[in-house]
Amino acid sequence: MATRKINKIVYGFLGIAGIVLSFIALLLLSETAKNSENFDQLATTILLINIACLIVLFILLIGNLTELYRDYRANIPGSKLKARMVAMFSGLVIIPLCVVFYFSMQFINRGIDTWFNVEVEEGFDDALALSRTALETQMRDHLVATENVANELRNTDTRQLIFRLGALRQNIGASEITLFGRNSQILATSSNQEVNSLPESPTDEVIMQTRQNLPFVSLDPKGEGGYEIRTAIPLLLNEPNSPDSMGLLRARFFVPERIARMADTVDSSSSDYKRILFLREPLKRTFSLTLTIVLMISLLASISGAFFLSRRLVSPIQDLVAGTKAVAKGNFDMQITVPSRDEIGFLISSFNDMTKGLSLARKQASLSQAQVEEERTKLEIILASLSTGVISLETDLKLRTANKAAESILSIDLKKQYGKNLSDIAKGHSLLEQLFDIAKKRIDKGDVKWREQIVLRGEIGRRVLLCECTAIKSDKSDEGGFVIVFDDITALQQAQRDAAWGEVARRLAHEIKNPLTPIQLSAERMRRKYLNKMSRKDGAIMDRATHTIVQQVEAMKEMVNAFSDYARAPDMDIHLFGITSLINEIADLYRSKESDIKIIVEAEANLPEIMADSGRVRQMLHNLIRNSTEILEFQDLGIITISATLVNNEGIDFISISVNDNGHGFASESIEKVFDPYVTSKPKGTGLGLAIVKKLVEEHIGRIEAENLPEGGASITILLPLNEVAREAAMALIPTKSENRKTQA
Amino acid sequence: MSFLKNKKFWILLLILNNLVFFPVSIFSQNLPNNEGFFDVRSASTSLNDGVYKLDARLQLFMSEEARDALGSGVPLIIELNIEIIRIRRFLPDARDAELIIQYELQYRPLSQRYIVQRLNSLEQESFSTLYSALNHLGRIQGLPLIDSSLLNANSNYRVRFRALLGTRQYSAPLQILIFWRSEWDLKSEWYEWRLER
Repeated sequence: MATRKINKIVYGFLGIAGIVLSFIALLLLSETAKNSENFDQLATTILLINIACLIVLFILLIGNLTELYRDYRANIPGSKLKARMVAMFSGLVIIPLCVVFYFSMQFINRGIDTWFNVEVEEGFDDALALSRTALETQMRDHLVATENVANELRNTDTRQLIFRLGALRQNIGASEITLFGRNSQILATSSNQEVNSLPESPTDEVIMQTRQNLPFVSLDPKGEGGYEIRTAIPLLLNEPNSPDSMGLLRARFFVPERIARMADTVDSSSSDYKRILFLREPLKRTFSLTLTIVLMISLLASISGAFFLSRRLVSPIQDLVAGTKAVAKGNFDMQITVPSRDEIGFLISSFNDMTKGLSLARKQASLSQAQVEEERTKLEIILASLSTGVISLETDLKLRTANKAAESILSIDLKKQYGKNLSDIAKGHSLLEQLFDIAKKRIDKGDVKWREQIVLRGEIGRRVLLCECTAIKSDKSDEGGFVIVFDDITALQQAQRDAAWGEVARRLAHEIKNPLTPIQLSAERMRRKYLNKMSRKDGAIMDRATHTIVQQVEAMKEMVNAFSDYARAPDMDIHLFGITSLINEIADLYRSKESDIKIIVEAEANLPEIMADSGRVRQMLHNLIRNSTEILEFQDLGIITISATLVNNEGIDFISISVNDNGHGFASESIEKVFDPYVTSKPKGTGLGLAIVKKLVEEHIGRIEAENLPEGGASITILLPLNEVAREAAMALIPTKSENRKTQA
Repeated sequence: MSFLKNKKFWILLLILNNLVFFPVSIFSQNLPNNEGFFDVRSASTSLNDGVYKLDARLQLFMSEEARDALGSGVPLIIELNIEIIRIRRFLPDARDAELIIQYELQYRPLSQRYIVQRLNSLEQESFSTLYSALNHLGRIQGLPLIDSSLLNANSNYRVRFRALLGTRQYSAPLQILIFWRSEWDLKSEWYEWRLER
């Protein structure tokens, strides 16, 4: 984009430079038109400016051609049309220009040649020859006359020379006659003009020729016009000091004015004609060169103009193509400047209207989408804040969405699993696997709207879910699916059960305890009042009966007290204590009894102290150990193993306490209800021991699980949070549960 | 200016350059091989009656084209350029005086004589041959240069001298022709010597 901008600037600069140069050349030409002499001075300058202009246009053309070629190769929109237009415009210009150029060249060459007629040239040569012949006759005559003078002077005494010379000069009609001695020394001279200066010395060629004893004659043009004939004759002199020395006699004759004028005319005309003849070729070449430059400038300017025009025409089309591409890419805000009011302008206006309409429609669509998104976000927030788990599935049971509660209830991160089949996600996740199995069975049967309470067994105990499935109906088959909504009602159920049992216990204790004391008192009174008065046999019956009544009432009181304990929970006293020492302490109590049961404590070394209610933990352990001892009471080699370890479950630190025995284990049909009140497998059990333990564990936000060991025997495992942090985390993990616990507390 | 990096641009430029300047190359073709030369063989100055005078010997040989032009009636101008330069120690030398002497050499077809006219003084002489005319021009004897009083007595001077064929006076077509041809570019090297005081 930047390169195109730079190119545009460069082309603009070159174009302006070309125009300025052409303007200067024209200005100079107009100057020369006023005065032809200026042309001689400015011709070279004009030529150079034109060449500079030519170079500028030439660079401009090359640049334009290169750019067009590159665009054409790169398939840039509009380049082909531009190339065609340039070719068309250039063709329109080049052909007529070449025709004009050809004929102009022919005209110049032939026209100039016709100026120089052969006959004229011959005429000048003849005139020149004639004039020369006429003058040569005069020259010969003057030479002969000079020779005669020389002959006369040979016999003349040197002292008489000066007198003789004047007379002889007049006789032959010379303007000046001079006798030169040795070394061009003037011996005597005579002139028809006033003598202001000495006669000029003979020229070298005169001296050289006369030294060869040859006469000399020449026709010399005079500076101020006219001609002068000069003759020189070698002369042997009888000088007193040097006899037989060689001198020369020089005579000057003026050519008559009329003849001289005519000769001048012939001479200058012939010279002018020859000069023009000489300039014919340069003139032709200059005209040819000028014409060629003008042609090239016109040609290059026309092609540059063709580029300019085609660019102007193609530019809106290129804009339109760019606009269409932008719209195709989704940029509906594209608006193109309307270049003119013609058809292309109308097309661009229509395009702008179209993009405006599209932009408006897209804005409305965006608004609607934003509203939908907003609604969806709200729904997501609502779903996220629900304690009810919501899972939506595709028709092929692929997971579409799941809320946080679903993840929490099913103990799985489902956000990363969107789009995967639920059967694949469920692998290795026990709770989800069970839920999926139940849901799939129903859906496979074609039952797409159902409601069921299902019980799932997991690592941390059983979960009771109230599950409801609904089909999502859609016109498009691929947008249907199912929504499974489920509530974890384990805690709710437990709370309801606990509340019911608490109420039962409270009322039962109240209702039963009230009559027990009068029954006991009545039985004791009967015993005191009538035992001594009865016969031995009746007394024995009375004694046994009243004893039984009192004993059974005591037993009932104990039972009622146990109920009271279950119903009434004292405040928690949380503090740090060592669990190992507590276990050992309680185990020792049971070891001290006379029994065959062996109690083994396997506590992990360096177990950290636990933050819990030690009284409640003590009660838990008592209940569990007592429960096991009662089971193993009638069994040989009974072994109770109490183990304590630190475990990390779902990122939370727990102290895990397991009490295992090698008894007969739980009945398989009641293993799920072992923690419910009045569920017992012991002949003498009240069925409240494990229920109370479970209640105590849940008060600590702990977990409890009962199972039968594979090698035989029962195992109860308690998980107690290690500290407050762990307790908080455990509470957050099972919010509903903890909420219920808190409510209860 | 991306096109300047393009090889095709330069190739195209070369081709079009040949096309454009083809007429020019034709214009400057057919050059005769016989080129002339101007040479200063010797030059010296002498002080005579308080005036420095120049004695010089030149060898002037006209090119064939110049000879043709002369024979066709085109007068040739022969220029003698003399410069008197003051030598300065730390500054560039100063040109204190400049003398240009122009001679016009012309052939007169009627008399078949070569006329040498000194344009400064309009004195003229005629010669039967070009050789003798050029020989006359090449022999400079006692040409007054400058009055010694015009020169700084405490400065040293150098003189330089050259001869050249003047072309400024010609008509446009001939000037354009001369512009492209080296045959008309007749010029001697500067001949330089120290002015004896």
